[in-house]
Amino acid sequence: MQQSNLAVSRRTILAASTALALGALPRWTWRARAQGGNLVFWDSNNSGGLQEIVETLAEEFEAQKQDVTVEHQGFETAQLDDQLQRAVQSGEGPDISQINNGENSMGPMVRAGLILPMDDYAAQYGWNDLLSPGLIARNRYTEDGETIGQGVIWGVSSTAEIVGFYYNKQIFADNGVEIPETFAELEAAMQTFKDNGVTPLVFGNLDPWPAIHLFGEIHGTMTTREYLDGLIYRQGDNSWDTDEIQQAAAKLQEWKTNGYLQEGFEGISPDDAWPLFAAGQGAMLMQGSWQAPDLAAEMQDNVGFFLMPPREAGGTVLHVGGVGIPYGITQDAENPDLAAEFINSLVSERALELMVEQSALPAQSIPAEMITPDTLAGDLYTAWNEANEADAIGHYMDWATPTFYATLTSELQRLLGDQTTPEAFAQALQADYAGFLAEQS
Amino acid sequence: MLASSRSKASLLGETEPSLAAGSAGRFRARRQGSPWEPYLYLLPGLLIFGLFVALPLVGTIALSITQWDGYGTPTFTGLSNYVDAARDPLFRSAAWHNLILIPYFALLPALLGLLPAVLVQQMKLRWAPFFRVGLFLPYIMPGVLIGVVWRWLLNPVFGPVNVALKAIGLNPPTWLGDFQLALPTVGLIGAWAAYGFCYVVFLAGIQKIPRELYEAARLDGANGLQEFWTVTLPGLRREMAVVLSVNLINALRVFDVVAATTGGGPGRETNVVALHMIDSAFKINRVGYGTTLAVLLTLVTLGLSLLVLRLVGGLDD
Repeated sequence: MQQSNLAVSRRTILAASTALALGALPRWTWRARAQGGNLVFWDSNNSGGLQEIVETLAEEFEAQKQDVTVEHQGFETAQLDDQLQRAVQSGEGPDISQINNGENSMGPMVRAGLILPMDDYAAQYGWNDLLSPGLIARNRYTEDGETIGQGVIWGVSSTAEIVGFYYNKQIFADNGVEIPETFAELEAAMQTFKDNGVTPLVFGNLDPWPAIHLFGEIHGTMTTREYLDGLIYRQGDNSWDTDEIQQAAAKLQEWKTNGYLQEGFEGISPDDAWPLFAAGQGAMLMQGSWQAPDLAAEMQDNVGFFLMPPREAGGTVLHVGGVGIPYGITQDAENPDLAAEFINSLVSERALELMVEQSALPAQSIPAEMITPDTLAGDLYTAWNEANEADAIGHYMDWATPTFYATLTSELQRLLGDQTTPEAFAQALQADYAGFLAEQS
Repeated sequence: MLASSRSKASLLGETEPSLAAGSAGRFRARRQGSPWEPYLYLLPGLLIFGLFVALPLVGTIALSITQWDGYGTPTFTGLSNYVDAARDPLFRSAAWHNLILIPYFALLPALLGLLPAVLVQQMKLRWAPFFRVGLFLPYIMPGVLIGVVWRWLLNPVFGPVNVALKAIGLNPPTWLGDFQLALPTVGLIGAWAAYGFCYVVFLAGIQKIPRELYEAARLDGANGLQEFWTVTLPGLRREMAVVLSVNLINALRVFDVVAATTGGGPGRETNVVALHMIDSAFKINRVGYGTTLAVLLTLVTLGLSLLVLRLVGGLDD
């Protein structure tokens, strides 16, 4: 009896340990495949107002369609790229997903034939009239996936982003400063704040992306749409080593030397910078539109928003900004027409209404009757409409090449740390750019 | 695993004669069992090792000789990634930063851990358990959390470190944002994070040194310092080997603390190999090149830790 007991127990141990080992196997499947009228869609709206908006729209779509269910899953942005890549490759992707622009995801996915072209749907639903051409271009790639900015539409963005100045109304009033109408007035305002012992521009560049915004906005006052589009979409024979790039770099260094930037900015993270501004530690903060809900909650009526002023009154500035991550249809979609119909609901009038309710920035122009003046959201929407109508939404410069974010941010930190000159800065950017172009051809 | 179960069996046989008489055949049968039996016991461990170490390692090496953007199909490119690595100035500077971090990540925490371990033991401190827990705490904090905490401590505007330094009339630097100080600062944070581990290993080692040696030393008239040099330190040789090799590996593979404090900046002053590897593979979608860096990092780590074990003497038996 003991003998058999032992045998059993040995077998049990073996079975148990094998089961344990097998249980530790990675899960190969991410989800059961969509059945019938099921739509699975993934995006980076994993919290707060934006998640509420898409889930409300999904429910309303279900109610309207009856035999359709819509299943939403929100991820962290970086995680979304990662998961999507693996899921779509193993044929287990969602029907609809946000697909990060450029070489992040869209380029490689077009080349690998993993997402569907959306030109026909764009014509059917009139998306081309909804968004300005400069915005749609960001979601275009040629059919071979080699050239960004032209050719086929692969995705539709429902939200947008624009960078500008948030300002503390009380501090502006106390120092007798008005919203600047020109670049010179902006610099004069910063000098006034500096002279009065107020930090002109709250800034934190420990995580180095805010410097891209600051540099991009300064450069935006000196450049043209043709030049910047050509540079970012890699069309024509443009170089980063230009007088304007060098002048913008010199201007950035000058602002630092003049004491216009937050003291100690090299050691302050962007996540700590906006709370400093919210706490009244400076007159202005340059940030993207996505910070508006937080700042409105913290500062109530004491905060407003204006765009980088032009060199001459009435001139145009190309602002740093762009579209939110676009929604595309994957090759795994069982019913692409249904998927497109749902994507259309994400850019519908109802979607616009929900976004305005949450102070989120839609990619389309906002009707005047939806704008409440003298609020932060009101300032933001007015600014957005203005820039959108002038087709003056520029670019995030780090889109230029896959390595450009690292090159641009480290060179900007070196520029701000006096470790390089504007000339060497421009040359370093061009070296990265030329290197990538050479690799491409 | 097998050896211990056997000795346990024979021990049982000896101490419980009544049982042994009835089941002597059983034990003999086990000893003469199938030659495959040992492998069956190893199977669970081997499966886990195979799935999570061997298989990924082979996969990594395989990917390192391809070009792959993470989508599509990898293209075989031979050793061109390795040639690229040899020519990559960013890889070179990152490797140099790893080397600079070795004293901070390996030697400094060993010293910082040794001191309180010896003090707690030799001075018979009353609050020893409190120290034991308190000193170990940084080690169990996740690297990302360490980054968040130190970013706050060192914040130039409201961080306690600079607030205190300003209060006594100094003009403190921006630490993590300073081109000269960022790398040493990251190194010191790493040392702070690692010394708790060293402390616990040394403390355990000291407790295993025979009391008689200390008594003999004292009879010979040795003072505290001489006791340390002639008894404590030689008695901790094995622990030293463990601590140094683990710390060395941490210095070479460091990622989380750097990513969570400086992200490799300012400029590229604190960029390390692991960061460059992750950026290459996942940020710019050069998966083949990223895995090449991973293979190189594994080889260097393996080589250097074997060297440390040989030098300090962890490979005695």
